[in-house]
Amino acid sequence: MSSSVSVAAEWDLLSDRFYRRITIYSPLPWSSPATTTASSSGGGSSGVGRLDLSTHIVAAAPFGGPIAAVRDDSKIVQLHSEPSRRRLLLFSSSGHPLASSPWTPHLPRLHSLAFSSSLNLLALLSDGSLLRFRLPDLNPITSSSPVPLLPPASGGVADAVFWGGGVAILTEDNRVVVTTDIEVDDPHPRELADPGVAEDEQVLCMAVVEPQFVMSGSPEVLLAVGDRVVAVDEDGVQVLGEALEIGPVQKMAVSPNGKLLAAFAHDGRLLVIPTDFSRIIFEYECDAYDNYQLISSSLPEAIEACIDAAGYEFDVSRQHTLLRAATYGLAFCSRFPHGRFQEMCKILRVLNAVRDPEIGMPLTVKQYKLLTATVLIGRLINANQHLLALRISEYLNLNPEVVIMHWACEKITASAAIPDVVLLEGLLDKIPLLLSIDEQDKALQKSIDSGDTDLVYLVLFHIWQKISVEKSAPLDFFGVINARPLARDLFIAYARHSKHEALKDFFLSTGRLQDAGFLLLKESRELERNPMASKGSPLHGPQVRLVEQAHRLFAETKEHLFESKSAEEHAKLLRVQHQLEVSTKQAIFVGSSVSDTIKTCIVMGNERAAVKVKSEFKVPDKRWYWLKSCALATVGNWDALETFSREKRPPGGYKPFVEACIDAGQKTEALKYIPKLTDPGERSEVLVRIRVDTAC
Amino acid sequence: MAQIPNLDNAALNLTALREQSQKELLSIIKSIRGKKCLVIDPKLAGTLSLILQTSALKEYGTELRILSADPLQTECPKVVYLVRSQLNFMKFVANQIKNDESKGLQREYHLYFVPRRIVACEKILEEEKVHQKLTIGEYPLYLVPLDEDVLSLELDYSLQECLIEGDTSSVWHVAKAIHKLEFAFGVIPNIRAKGVASTKAAELLNHMQLEDPVSMDNMGIPEIDTVILLDREVDMVTPMCSQLTYEGLLDEMLEIHNGSVEVDASIMGAQQDGKKVKVPLNSSDKLYKEIRDLNLHVVVQVVRQKATSIQQDYAEVKSTNTQSVSELKDFVKRLHSLPEIARHVNLAQHLQSFAAKPAFHARVEIEQIILEAQTYETCYEYIEEIIQKQEPIETVLRLLVLFSLTNGGLPKKNFDYLRREILHSYGFEHMPLLYNLEKAGLVKRQESRTNWPVISRALQLIVDIKDPENPDDIAYIFAGYAPLSIRLVQHAVRSGWRSIEELLKLLPGPHMDLKRVRCLDH
Repeated sequence: MSSSVSVAAEWDLLSDRFYRRITIYSPLPWSSPATTTASSSGGGSSGVGRLDLSTHIVAAAPFGGPIAAVRDDSKIVQLHSEPSRRRLLLFSSSGHPLASSPWTPHLPRLHSLAFSSSLNLLALLSDGSLLRFRLPDLNPITSSSPVPLLPPASGGVADAVFWGGGVAILTEDNRVVVTTDIEVDDPHPRELADPGVAEDEQVLCMAVVEPQFVMSGSPEVLLAVGDRVVAVDEDGVQVLGEALEIGPVQKMAVSPNGKLLAAFAHDGRLLVIPTDFSRIIFEYECDAYDNYQLISSSLPEAIEACIDAAGYEFDVSRQHTLLRAATYGLAFCSRFPHGRFQEMCKILRVLNAVRDPEIGMPLTVKQYKLLTATVLIGRLINANQHLLALRISEYLNLNPEVVIMHWACEKITASAAIPDVVLLEGLLDKIPLLLSIDEQDKALQKSIDSGDTDLVYLVLFHIWQKISVEKSAPLDFFGVINARPLARDLFIAYARHSKHEALKDFFLSTGRLQDAGFLLLKESRELERNPMASKGSPLHGPQVRLVEQAHRLFAETKEHLFESKSAEEHAKLLRVQHQLEVSTKQAIFVGSSVSDTIKTCIVMGNERAAVKVKSEFKVPDKRWYWLKSCALATVGNWDALETFSREKRPPGGYKPFVEACIDAGQKTEALKYIPKLTDPGERSEVLVRIRVDTAC
Repeated sequence: MAQIPNLDNAALNLTALREQSQKELLSIIKSIRGKKCLVIDPKLAGTLSLILQTSALKEYGTELRILSADPLQTECPKVVYLVRSQLNFMKFVANQIKNDESKGLQREYHLYFVPRRIVACEKILEEEKVHQKLTIGEYPLYLVPLDEDVLSLELDYSLQECLIEGDTSSVWHVAKAIHKLEFAFGVIPNIRAKGVASTKAAELLNHMQLEDPVSMDNMGIPEIDTVILLDREVDMVTPMCSQLTYEGLLDEMLEIHNGSVEVDASIMGAQQDGKKVKVPLNSSDKLYKEIRDLNLHVVVQVVRQKATSIQQDYAEVKSTNTQSVSELKDFVKRLHSLPEIARHVNLAQHLQSFAAKPAFHARVEIEQIILEAQTYETCYEYIEEIIQKQEPIETVLRLLVLFSLTNGGLPKKNFDYLRREILHSYGFEHMPLLYNLEKAGLVKRQESRTNWPVISRALQLIVDIKDPENPDDIAYIFAGYAPLSIRLVQHAVRSGWRSIEELLKLLPGPHMDLKRVRCLDH
């Protein structure tokens, strides 16, 4: 069976939120067999077979950007087939090599790599100097010689934290130097106040509150020293959160909005605190939390949740499931703003396109919103994904000129093949999306093509609901569905169960008079079942009227002459039976057939009534003989049976008499008529039957 | 003996398939804590009895009820509806909930759709204003093993839906079921389909493979080589004929449902009269496996012979004292088969009391005459007579359909006359039934010459069975008529459709011969 691990099992509870770790791309190729990427040195990526991240210094750009790596020469590495000379490598998030260039030898040791906000690659060397490279070709910016960020004799880099526009460096002699204009040609490093780390103390870890989140406009560096945390800026040093008694902090991280800090304490607690250390927002210890809440949301909230969840989901089929779930809800919830749904569909289409391993930008929906579509398009252009950039521009109604211009320039300078983008398929063809952009007719056709009747219903209800919201005539709806047999038939099937009136309107307005006729017959039968309508009461009136109406509808078309005549006879029979019930004072006729009515009359000894029914309904003689013989035998009126047999020569022979007697178990009576059977085969057959039946 | 068939001898690992369904159902039951009332639709109740012992459900505090139009009688605070996604059940569910409310009963309601939730069903719940009160889920039961060599989709109404109502939901269902099967047994490389619905199902299956592919790489060699899809419409003739094998007669006379028949206890030799007993009929019963497809009189001989031989052994055991222990063991082992023998002696005897009747012979004979399609008058008069005699309407309609199919319809005058006789004899309420039969093309006015004789000759449908005890052709199962669909399958298996291309054009709907190859990785 298909291995369907429960989706819920992937989630872990942390405080009151569920989290999960998902694999977006696996396995990562890290290299492709052919060198298809532009490479500054022309050497291609032949040296990269696999990438052991633990032996490399690595930087990953935020917002699903590229990954850069250089082998860490401070670690002893067994070289396989790769060249011993180090290279600077660049991959997409999905592990496709984008570029590589040789690492200049004889430089001081590399301390760390990072990306700036304009997506330049920064390399901080252990002596505190900085190298900068442009993407995507990894060409050095300005000069190939490193820019120094530390004053001489500072002892080199002990730790460093980058953010989009700068870097904070902790020197070996425990001083802090920040550079906030890291992208300019000659950056200006500034030393902050002395954090006052004693000789015997050690800085455990470091974090930076970026300048845009600090009132003064300059960064604030947090250092964990001993069992305290200090905030260092240009003006001074401040000890934070002593009252919280957190103890030595092993690791700190500032939230993207600069407001919160996650701190990992030495005793294994994970704390979340505001960056001003005013209180502990929550702390997490293993299995400390067990607070399942029953989800009892109302429908709009559920739809909202489904749409949101689809946004956060990376798996396209699950997005699909969630959006589908949302549309289920939408069909029942007209108040819900449909725009929300459309918007998410649009976003997901874009995200799925760029998340594709070929593009390799695993953006989350939040990241996308922060990054904005324009910046994303810029990134795509820079990654030589022009066609996709163009399509997204068009899809989002952004000016495509930027893309086209850039493409034209690139085209002239290079003859790189445009990647085959079939990526925008995916959600594009999915029906809910089409629905939301109001292409009802197209959506209906698509759903029919899918062969999934549930989807057809989904579209049908959507259109139906829209029509009732917009108060346009149902005739429009009938017109739309009548052109499509499957949609039409499904509507009919559904309406049979719940919307008789609408169905009747549909039949009448589309000229299906016979179907309307059958619908009336069905209603008349329901009346018959109504106990109030039986017992020969005048309530039979409506039932008869319905049958007569049906008769008239059938009569409208030549093809339904038989039905028309039958309905006419049916109405007549109901009247006759009603009279019989009145005259006999017995409610046993209505609902029985012509033949049964005749039999009942004979059984009751009312031969005259039986004959009257026979002639009124033009019952053929042959049948009359079967019915009368059977009825007389049932009541054991053998004399009357014999008299009947002598009336005239029966039109179908004496078989009805013989069988009536045998069925009643009257062998001797049967023997009276057996000799009169003309066919000798028939005679012997009957004799056998007498023997067998009486033997049984 | 358990009604759940033993699947150990199945060619595929159907046990795993069934266990998966068991597990899925139990996990639904377990997920709802505490005492609960499980309300199942009637047909599904039978289906589930092929998957697990319903007593297993009781272990989880479950009370069982069958869904009906009546109010729900239970003390349980939680109600779990397990129903197939059919529109007509939704009103029942809604009414039960509303009834509870009118009595001021507060319960927790769950509704599990089988096999999947359907927006049309939910729309009805919404209109009845109970949708919000239900927690909705799915129980994806698509295929049920009826026996070691039969899987059933349990779609009772698919023919009616497809041919008359134009609702092709079941076609999607078929494709989905096969696709699910492929996840377990690999992508089936060959598809042969005949008929509108079958070719559509094949297309859908291909489409599903594109959308949600079963990996062709990791599965190794597919366990199923070919799937043959036939529309019922292609062969409506066969189901109209009276079945004559032991199993066929059991079905005709007693109706086999979910692999068992219900009979009066007295028939099975029990004392209590009037009580019904359920007799399972599947291959777990070795004797049944041996005799199910034999002619009734052969069956009688076989069981009699078995009984006699045990009797003789018994006499021997009694008269001599020289048996070795192993010989005695052997004998005891054979004694164990006695209950099986007794069961089939009883059933066969019961069937014979029907089958020996002249009326039954007459019917089988007239079917043969109709199938040979040579003497119109005899057939027409026979049908006229049984209508006028008011024989059961099912018998009448089966013969009438058979007659119309093989004769290419009836001349207008006869057609109208017989229809009128039917309405007069059985009541005008059968008008929609006749209209639907006409709509489905089963009983119709003659418009062109019949091609039945051509089909019958080309596929050798009428076969003279020389030795009914050792038949060499499938035609023995209908006293000399080989089922059209079986002949088609024989051809499809042997050489594909190509050899009978021209003939297939005479039967309704397109045909398709599809090879699905391992798609090369790009």
